[in-house]
Amino acid sequence: MAVATISHGAAHGADGEVDQLYVETRELRLQGFLLFLVSDCVLFSSFIFAYLYLRSSGQGWPPPGIQRLDVAFAAWNSVVLFGSGATMHYALENWKHGNFMKYMWMLIFTIILGAMFLGGQGYEYNHLIYAEHVSWWGSGIFGASFFTLTGMHGFHVFMGVCYLTVLLLQSAAGTYTRDKYFGITAGTLYWHFVDVIWVVLFSIFYLL
Amino acid sequence: MDFATLERIGAVIGGIVVGVVAFYALYKDWKTPGVENHVFKVMLLLLGIGAIVALLAGLNVLGNFGKPA
Repeated sequence: MAVATISHGAAHGADGEVDQLYVETRELRLQGFLLFLVSDCVLFSSFIFAYLYLRSSGQGWPPPGIQRLDVAFAAWNSVVLFGSGATMHYALENWKHGNFMKYMWMLIFTIILGAMFLGGQGYEYNHLIYAEHVSWWGSGIFGASFFTLTGMHGFHVFMGVCYLTVLLLQSAAGTYTRDKYFGITAGTLYWHFVDVIWVVLFSIFYLL
Repeated sequence: MDFATLERIGAVIGGIVVGVVAFYALYKDWKTPGVENHVFKVMLLLLGIGAIVALLAGLNVLGNFGKPA
């Protein structure tokens, strides 16, 4: 059976010369991307600590009239997102080892799982808004905090799904080679970051 | 079997699978050098912890299932 592999076009240009710009700027790009993730982390942290502060200064949680959130569904939805983190990690590993088809399948699974998570979040929003009558604008601190933080995270997941879809198309078009694949590394870092943020959000909204 | 039970079973099975995969990947990558690999290791550790948290939530050890406060 023929196995698709990834070429060693490496950090070489079309003329066979070393792509010096890529070699010289790779570390800078990585540092820049990590700084972006740190800044995103600060953004989430500020909202999370504001929520925790407001929560601890109130009289009991959740506020009167609001039911505790459904942990069973959220646990399932969390596992879907965490599973996508695992598939994304193995997508990158397969790329590094030159297994193109396995990489593509893992990336496709990641995109599907990311979309499933978003669907689950949409289902939960729908249930909260129409069945429980909890809203962003009319349920005080709880509604504002919950919808702001999970909405911001959901937006990050949505952007991640778009990014991974672009990566899929670029990979199919041969944009990356086995030694020149910073876009895939950045995509994996971003997706792990989105997963890790959800660990915190899941814990503070559903378990505490 | 109601939906909540199915969701809990899914969370438990998924939590075990993802946790094992995350910690195995962490074990395999433990000695890899470089900044990005160190970041990946931290992320994998947190992913594994997240899977355990979801697993415990699925087992009803953490959180509570829709009961009023």
